[in-house]
Amino acid sequence: MTSAVTIPRHGGTGGTTAVAARARQVVKAYGSGETRVVALDHIDVDIARGRFTAIMGPSGSGKSTLMHCLAGLDTVTSGHIHLADTEITGLKDKKLTQLRRDRIGFIFQAFNLLPTLNALENITLPMDIAGRKPDRAWLDRVVETVGLAGRLKHRPTQLSGGQQQRVAVARALAARPEIIFGDEPTGNLDSRAGAEVLGFLRRSVDELGQTIVMVTHDPVAASYADRVLYLADGRIVDEMYQPTAEQVLDRMKDFDARGRTS
Amino acid sequence: MTVLKTSMRNFLAHKGRMALSAVAVLLSVAFVCGTLVFTDTMNTTFDKLFQATSSDVQVSAKGSSDTGQTTSRTGKPPVLPAAVVGKVRTAQGVRSAEGTVFSTSVTVVDADKDKLSPSSGAPTIVGSWNGNDARTMKITSGTAPRGPDQVMVDADTAGKHHLRLGDEIGVITAVGTHHARVSGIAAFKVTNPGAAIFYLDTETAQRTLVGRTGVYTDVNVTAARGVTDAQLKQNVLAALGHDYKVQTAKEVADANQKDVQSTLNVMKYAMLGFAGIAFLVGIFLIINTFSMLVAQRTREIGLMRAIGSSRKQVNRSVLVEALLLGVIGSVLGVGAGVGIAVGLMKLMGRIGMHLSTDDLTVAWTTPASGLLLGVVVTVLAAYLPARRAGKVSPMAALRDAGAPADARAGAVRAGLGLLLTAAGGWSLYVAATAGQAKTGSGWLGIGVVLTLIGFVVIGPLLAGGLVRVLGAALLRMFGPVGRMAERNALRNPRRTGATGAALMIGLALVACLSVVGSSMVASASDQLDKTVGADFIVRSDQEDGLVAKQAVQAIKNTPGLERVTEYKWTEAAFTTPDGKRLPNTTIMAVDPAYATDVRTETVAGEVKDAYRIDSMSVPEKFAKDHGVRLGSTITVAYEDGRTARLTVRAITRSDTLIDSGAVYTSIATLAKYVPAGRMPLDEMVLATAEDGRQAAAYQALKAALHDDFPQLTVRDQTDYKQDLKDQIGQLLNMIYGLLALAIIVAILGVVNTLALSVVERTREIGLMRAIGLSRRQLRSMIRLESVVIAVFGALLGLGLGMGWGATAQKLLALQGLKILEIPWPTITGVFIGSAFVGLFAALVPAFRAARMNVLNAIATD
Repeated sequence: MTSAVTIPRHGGTGGTTAVAARARQVVKAYGSGETRVVALDHIDVDIARGRFTAIMGPSGSGKSTLMHCLAGLDTVTSGHIHLADTEITGLKDKKLTQLRRDRIGFIFQAFNLLPTLNALENITLPMDIAGRKPDRAWLDRVVETVGLAGRLKHRPTQLSGGQQQRVAVARALAARPEIIFGDEPTGNLDSRAGAEVLGFLRRSVDELGQTIVMVTHDPVAASYADRVLYLADGRIVDEMYQPTAEQVLDRMKDFDARGRTS
Repeated sequence: MTVLKTSMRNFLAHKGRMALSAVAVLLSVAFVCGTLVFTDTMNTTFDKLFQATSSDVQVSAKGSSDTGQTTSRTGKPPVLPAAVVGKVRTAQGVRSAEGTVFSTSVTVVDADKDKLSPSSGAPTIVGSWNGNDARTMKITSGTAPRGPDQVMVDADTAGKHHLRLGDEIGVITAVGTHHARVSGIAAFKVTNPGAAIFYLDTETAQRTLVGRTGVYTDVNVTAARGVTDAQLKQNVLAALGHDYKVQTAKEVADANQKDVQSTLNVMKYAMLGFAGIAFLVGIFLIINTFSMLVAQRTREIGLMRAIGSSRKQVNRSVLVEALLLGVIGSVLGVGAGVGIAVGLMKLMGRIGMHLSTDDLTVAWTTPASGLLLGVVVTVLAAYLPARRAGKVSPMAALRDAGAPADARAGAVRAGLGLLLTAAGGWSLYVAATAGQAKTGSGWLGIGVVLTLIGFVVIGPLLAGGLVRVLGAALLRMFGPVGRMAERNALRNPRRTGATGAALMIGLALVACLSVVGSSMVASASDQLDKTVGADFIVRSDQEDGLVAKQAVQAIKNTPGLERVTEYKWTEAAFTTPDGKRLPNTTIMAVDPAYATDVRTETVAGEVKDAYRIDSMSVPEKFAKDHGVRLGSTITVAYEDGRTARLTVRAITRSDTLIDSGAVYTSIATLAKYVPAGRMPLDEMVLATAEDGRQAAAYQALKAALHDDFPQLTVRDQTDYKQDLKDQIGQLLNMIYGLLALAIIVAILGVVNTLALSVVERTREIGLMRAIGLSRRQLRSMIRLESVVIAVFGALLGLGLGMGWGATAQKLLALQGLKILEIPWPTITGVFIGSAFVGLFAALVPAFRAARMNVLNAIATD
């Protein structure tokens, strides 16, 4: 495994933990009484720093909910979530917003970009919102890495789907967040464009030391990760390190079969 | 059927989004219906009053007015001898005949010299208590007046001024001042809208109002059983001959009604005009609403088309929604209209006009026209968006929804808009340089309409440019939030244009009127400074009020005055050299010193020569119209006197604000042809202080008039200018108040546009929130967008309005409006106000956007 280039971030208050995000006994339930649905059922998980983690599972398994909770987009019913040393459960909206802005990057499946802003403006948007100046050299490097140098002045509508997702990746990387969350980032792309975007994500982990958490149901996408977590019925049921697409697919079939017989 | 069902479902599904459009329709319809109900109610009230107060047949002196108001310039009502009553009694079919005397040329004061006249402009009437009044009124306390010391007051006036039995009041007439004590209070059996009425016994009334007994102003004739009013009138005419005016009850009531009607109509049409403006503004709101709903529903419409709906069906489904909106808005509007009418009646009560809800009149035409107007306007406004909906291709179902609408403002639109604006601008230029007011005002009207339409059409283009400028000037201060607000305002220029244009209409009118108003004040003040040499002006507070002879004497006796100039007018029939006869022409009669008091400019001759005996002056326009030159002779047949042949010695300039169009002669000339008893009283008296004693003379003059002539007011030039300013300011405020309706609808439009765009941008907002935009930043983004739209509308409106105002001033310069004064405080105030309007309009949409759930917003499915 190529060692992560440790980048000093945010002052790096001594003894950086190897864990970027941590969930303990997290429960997320909707409704109450008879109609109560448990989306996350006492989940414990550690997301390793400088690693690429994939979360898999069938529809309704709670994988998106887990990501939303880890990213501070959704609140939990009980349990604790830490981002590095900060507990984010119980934070007020204002603090959470600031946290998302300064410490987290997002890549969504679709509709990642503001149609009124051009590619470059979209990339620097989180820093603009925060009133920070982007680090020029870093920005150039990110832009170059995702291969967008010639298209920075284009509006999203003038870009292909793959290019739009690359802009989204660049935006997520540009602010140097502690952790990037991807929600099916290649779900809307054909396999070639998808492979390109996943390649960038992999490289950003390997070369830039980025921490990435990605929700996907595509075994090929999952094979880019260092570690795959399997969720079913709101619980982590399995995990796999250094997966290949075949292994992931086999495991999925396994779950499917079990799900059917049970 | 399915079309109706989908429309209903859509309508109900989007009731929130339709709500503001419905309110816009409601407001406009309510204003129209409110106006109609209110004016109809006023009509009913007056109708009942006139019906109740007229006797079957009324005989009056020849010179009296049809309505019974005293218009005589002598300050005394025209009278007929008492013998007429006896003659009337001999006529066939007369059951009874009674002579009465009354006058409206009176001022009534209480013991503290405070006037007891109505504040609403309604007349003050003093008359003899007679049988006819006894029928229509009920004495609620005390007794009818008997003897010279007693007076009876109507209950409304007594209540308003807290008069009680035994209180002293004074009746001031051209004859003098008569004092009496309240002996009784009488209430009308019908609603009396506002006149203050005082009754004396017949002899006292005769002495007080006319100065002698044995005369009446009217004879009230009652018909014997089975005799119609018309027959009775014929019989009375047969008995009296044609020396007197004989009218049936219906004729008197009709004449009064006509008089009231003309005032009411001015009010009615003015208010309907403002309702029309509100409708116009509402159209923009409705167009925007439907455009946005259609855009948001593109995918759905595409699906309908894909599964086989025809264009017509889609088109119709949108129109049916508009129909529903129109019906709901109008029905509520009709209801609210009645409420507005009642509110207006209460408001009238505050300024002293009594109206009773018992008389509330809702003609069937009122709800009918309200409904029709509301529905037709709504459906017409929705027509364009509906057509656009029909054009949605079935492919839209397959495409990604939420793509921003086509933002390109077409070249055709640009061309058309520029053409209209240019044509409008040219018309305004023609109007400004016109040599004649009549042709000029036509061009002004065309210019105003064309530039307005032109601005509406090129609004989207201007939005592009102006918003960028505003962005550079204003929004950059707010960093990325400002930039995003700018981009959002720019992303659909058509929508921004239409929303801004709605605000533009109201504000353009405000700007235009404020420019004309302040130019009027500035021009008049300037002219006063330049031409008026007199220090003080004394005139009555009452409409058509006169300055009695005793008051003129009191002024002349005031110490410290260098000269006192009397100013009268009367009417005469002119026969001009071109052979035309001009009946009822106003002719001024002044002391020769008036030439010094008011320096009237002439184009030929000198105005002081016009004050020589048998001489006159005419204004330039009159001279031109009737071929009059210096030395021409005009035959002047005085209303109450003989016929004179007067020589024109001066031709005055027409472009003046003071005595515009006045024909002058001297009082000496008037006196030569009109007998002393019929000489008109002074309309006003000008006075000039001895040098350096202005302040003392002003005080002395006030003191001299205060006690005995409380109806007269002394003003110096400063007072006069201030009064002028106040009057114009009051008028403008009233118009601004009425324009507020249109502006409120426009603000609703801004709220509507923002609310709908927030819905449209749900996902964007979610994304921005996810990547770290705080609620506060989101709110300020929406607020800034709103401010930009509002300020854009204000800029267009103020620009356009000032253009119109300046053109109007140039045009009116022909009539003396020579100074263009832009009221910068008002203009800046409106501009800054519009920014606040923007902030205010964004309150709810911004709040709702900030409350939006981030997760729902970014949900991908």
